[in-house]
Amino acid sequence: MDTSQATSWRWGTILGWLVVLLLIGAIVGFYGWFKFFREVPQEPWVTETPEMRFRYGSIGAESDAGIPYWIFYVLPRMFPEKLPGPGGYASLGVSWEQGKELPIGFTKKTVGFPRVANNCAACHTTNYRAGPNENPVFLDAGPGHTLNLEAFFRFLVDCAKDPRFNADNLMREIDLVTDLPFDDRLAYRFLIIPMTKKRLVEREAQFAWIYRKDFPEWGRGRDDSMNLTKYFMIKLPMDNSFGPGDIPSIWNLKKYDQPGTTMNWSGDSHDAHSVIIDSALGLLGAPPKDNAVFLGHVAWLQEYLRNAPPPKYPFPIDAARAEAGKAVFDKHCASCHASDKTGRRMPLDAIGTDRERMDTWGKDNAIAANKVVSAMGIQRKGLVEAPLDGYNPPFLDGVWVRGPYLHNGSVPTLRDLLEPPANRPQVFWRGYDLYDQANVGFISQGPEAERLGSRYDTSQRANGNGGHAFGVALPAGDKDALLEYLKTL
Amino acid sequence: MNESAATSAPGEDGWLADLYRRRWVRVTTLVLAIPTLLALVFGVYLWQRFGTDRPTEYADIDEHFKYGSTGGEHVSGFPYWIFQALPQVCGEHLPGKGYASLGLIYEEGHDLPIGMSKRHHQGIDKTFLNCAVCHASTVRDAPNAKPRVYLGMPAKQLDIMGFEKFLFNCAKGPKFAAEFIVPEARRAAQAGGQDLDLLDRYIVYPVAVALMRERLLTLAGRFSFVFDHPDWGPGRVDTFNSAKVIFNFPMHDLPAREKNAPADFPSIWLQGPRKGMQLHWDGNNTMVEERNKSAAFGTGTTPPTLDVANIGRIETWLLTKEPPKYPYAVDAAKAARGGPLYKEYCSGCHGATGRDFSGEYVGKVSPIAEIGTDRRRLDSYTYELAVNQATLYVGYPWRFAHFRKTFGYANMPLDGLWLRAPYLHNGSVPTVRDLLEPASKRPPVFHRGYDVYDPAKVGFLSEVAAEGDKHYFRFDTSVPGNANTGHEGKRYGTELPAADKDALVEFLKTF
Repeated sequence: MDTSQATSWRWGTILGWLVVLLLIGAIVGFYGWFKFFREVPQEPWVTETPEMRFRYGSIGAESDAGIPYWIFYVLPRMFPEKLPGPGGYASLGVSWEQGKELPIGFTKKTVGFPRVANNCAACHTTNYRAGPNENPVFLDAGPGHTLNLEAFFRFLVDCAKDPRFNADNLMREIDLVTDLPFDDRLAYRFLIIPMTKKRLVEREAQFAWIYRKDFPEWGRGRDDSMNLTKYFMIKLPMDNSFGPGDIPSIWNLKKYDQPGTTMNWSGDSHDAHSVIIDSALGLLGAPPKDNAVFLGHVAWLQEYLRNAPPPKYPFPIDAARAEAGKAVFDKHCASCHASDKTGRRMPLDAIGTDRERMDTWGKDNAIAANKVVSAMGIQRKGLVEAPLDGYNPPFLDGVWVRGPYLHNGSVPTLRDLLEPPANRPQVFWRGYDLYDQANVGFISQGPEAERLGSRYDTSQRANGNGGHAFGVALPAGDKDALLEYLKTL
Repeated sequence: MNESAATSAPGEDGWLADLYRRRWVRVTTLVLAIPTLLALVFGVYLWQRFGTDRPTEYADIDEHFKYGSTGGEHVSGFPYWIFQALPQVCGEHLPGKGYASLGLIYEEGHDLPIGMSKRHHQGIDKTFLNCAVCHASTVRDAPNAKPRVYLGMPAKQLDIMGFEKFLFNCAKGPKFAAEFIVPEARRAAQAGGQDLDLLDRYIVYPVAVALMRERLLTLAGRFSFVFDHPDWGPGRVDTFNSAKVIFNFPMHDLPAREKNAPADFPSIWLQGPRKGMQLHWDGNNTMVEERNKSAAFGTGTTPPTLDVANIGRIETWLLTKEPPKYPYAVDAAKAARGGPLYKEYCSGCHGATGRDFSGEYVGKVSPIAEIGTDRRRLDSYTYELAVNQATLYVGYPWRFAHFRKTFGYANMPLDGLWLRAPYLHNGSVPTVRDLLEPASKRPPVFHRGYDVYDPAKVGFLSEVAAEGDKHYFRFDTSVPGNANTGHEGKRYGTELPAADKDALVEFLKTF
C-alpha cells in the first residue's frame, strides 16, 4: 500500500465522518431550535383588531415568563384547593369572555411549544355587571378590580412546590385532554415539567413578602407594585415595607401629555412611555430578546392607550341634577382634580391618606431601577429620582367605574368617600362586579359580595381609609348632585 | 494482524466472514440471537394481544345507537367480565336483581343493556355507556303487555344516580378485590361460552380490578356531592354539576343555590330543525354538535378518545330522526277543537306544530321571572362553568365556544311530546293534562319510572308505587329542585275551561 494513498484515504474518512457529524449536529440543532425556541406568530384573529390585540396580543412575555400551555391548562384541575374558590382560573377574578379559550390578558404563543403569559389587559380590564341577572361587561384599559393577583402568584408557586407536581401526575392529566406526539410527550416529561417546576419554585424567595402572615392580603384589585419592582427588577433584599395600591385605569393616557404631570399614585414615574416600559418589563420577567420588537409593542400600546376613551356611564343620568353637581364640583373638587395640580404630586400633609404605599419606594430605588433599564439598552425618561412625599390627585375620567376609591382602594363608593373618614365603612368586600348605581361604585356588602369578594379591613396595615376629607360636610343635596355629575366624567 | 493473515487473506471474503469464522463469535451470536428472537416473538404476541382497539360495530343505525361505542371505553371502560360479575359481588348495593333493577333495559339476545357498548381495547373487552342509556326507554300499553322500546325518548326509568352509587359503593367495599371478582368474572365468562386464560386470571384481570377500583374511588371522591343530594330518581341527572366535575371544581364549596339541580333527560329527535336554537333546558348553548360532544363526556369520552366517526353517525341520524307517532286512538273532532287553542296559547313559544318549529319565542330563553319554574337547574349553571367549558377540546377544530350563562329557561319544540313525560325541565308534573292545571292543583307527590301509558292524561301512570318486586320512585315536589310551580296563569292555559284543556291535550297527541 502506498503511504500517501493511505494517508489521503485516512483524511478522506475523517473528513467524511466530520461531514456526517456536522450534519447530525445541524439536524439535532435544528430540531432543538424548532421544538424549544422557534417563534410562531399568534393566530390571525388576535391581531386583527386593536381591541383583540390589547386583550390577547403577546408583548413577548412568553419566552421567559411563559408557562407551558398544557401545564397551565391542567393546574386548576389538579390543585383546585389552592385557588380562592370553585371555578378554576375564573375564581381569581380574571376577566374572561365566554367562549374564549383564555381569559383577557392571557396570551398564547408558540415559542418552540405553546406557552401562556400575560399582557397589560390582565390587570387593566374592568368587569362590571348591570344587574344580578346579567353577564359581565368588559371595559378595556379599566382597573382590574376583581383580579386577585396575589392569589394568582401564590397559586403558581404553591402548585410547583406541591409534591404532586411531577411528570407522572401532570402527564396523566394532560393525556386526558390532548393527544401529544411522542417527542412532545418526552419533552414535557423530561424537560418542560421539571424545568417549569424548578423556575416556579425559585420564585418563592422573591415572593417571600406575599407569604408574610403579619401582612394583610392585597385583596382583589390591588398589587404591591413598587415592592414587585424592588424585588424582581432591582433584586433588592426584602425590607419591611408594604403598600398595595389599587390597580389604576390606563385609558386616555394623552392627558399625561400636559407638561409637569407624573404618573402612578405617588408620581413615581415621569411619563406614560416609561410606565408602559417598566410594567411590560415586569411581565417579561427578563430583558427583552429583541429591544426593537419590544419597543414596537410599547409604541403600539402607548398609541392605543393614549387614545382609548374612558367608558361612558351606561345607566340613566339625571341631567338637571348633574348640571347642579357641576357647580359643586367646580367649587369643591376642580382645584385639585381638574387643574394644573392634577397629576402632580401633592404633599401628604395636604391629603392625609394612608402613607404606606408612598413609603414602599424611594429615590435610591428609582436610581437603581433606571440603571437596570438603561443597561438593557432601553432609553426612557424613567422613574423620578427624587424623594416622594405625597400622592398625585388623579384625573377623574371614567371615575364612575374606578371604585373602590383612594390609592389603596379603601373606600368602596364615591358616596362613601364624601363621608367623613369616621363614617366610611370599616369592613367591606371588594372585587364583586355588580354595579351600584345609587352609591357609584360596586356592591361591597351582602352574601354575594362576601362570597366573591375579598374582605377589606381598614384597620389593617396599609389599608387606612383616612384622609381626603374633602366635601364631606356638604349638604346631602349637594352630595347627590355631585355624584350625579361624577357619573358624566 | 498476523493471526488473521494465518487463517485467510484479509479482504478475500470480507471482514464479516472473517469474523464469523471464529468460534467464540459463533457461540456468542447464538447465545444472543435466541433470547432476542424469543423476546421479539413475545413482543409481537403482546402487541397483538394488548395493542388492540376494536369497537364492536353495527351496520344498522338503530343497533349502533343502542350498542355502538362513542369511545368512552378507552379511558372510562369497565372490563367487560368484571362489569358482568359486579351484581353478584356487590348485589347488596342494588335495589333489586341485576342492573335491570336500576332501570337499564335488556333486550332479548343481548348480554349488555341498551346504552352500553363494547370495545376490545388493550387486550380486554371493555364496556361503558353510550347515548342511548339516557335517551331510550320503553312503553307498555297495559301492565301485562310487552314493553316496546323507543329510541330517542328520555330514559325515564334509568336511575343514573343509583348506577353511580352502586359502582362507588362497590369500589369502596372490601369485596372489590381480585379474589372476589376474578372467580365471578370467570364464571360469567364461562356462562357466556368463553373463558379467561391463565394470563387473564393471574395478571390481566387482577391488574384490571386494581385499576378500576382506583379509578372508581377517584370518581367517587369527585362525585361525592351526589351522596349529599336528595335522590334524583329515575329519568333525571344533575347535568351541570356533573360537568363541574370535569374541571374538578371543589363541589363542597359551591354555594347552596347551585346544588340539587336534577333535570329530566330530554328527547333527542329532529336535531336538524333545532340548529341555531338555544339548546339545553336553560338554553346555554346554540350549537348542536358542541352540545352533543358535551353530552358525550357523560359517556366517558375525553377529547383524545372520542370516537368521532361513531358519534358522527348518530349525530347525522338524529338530524332527521322523527319521533314515534302516538300509537293510541285520537279523537279527531276533539283534536280539531284543540288546534286553535294551541295556536292561541302555545305556538308562540312551542312552534306552529309538532314538526314546524316556527314561532317568535321558540328555542329562545324566557326570563325566569316570567316562567316561574323551579330555578335550581338554572342556578346550577354558572358563568364560571361557562368560561371553563370554552377550554374543552383545545387543539381540536371543534373547541367549545358557544356555552353562555343564561337567566331563564328555553322554550322547546314539542315533537313527540307524548313520550316526554313527566313534564317541565325537572319532570315535576306527571302528565300534560296536569300541566294545564295551576301548580296548586298539580299532584304534589307522584311516582316516576313506571312505563305503562296513560292515554287519558298523556303521560305515564304515576300513582303506581310498586309492581311485583319493583318499586317506583316517590317524587315529592317539596324537595329542593323538585318544585312543580311555574308555567301557569292565563297565558299558559291553566285558566281554560276543563273541556278546552281536554281538547288541547287531544291536539298535542298528534305532535
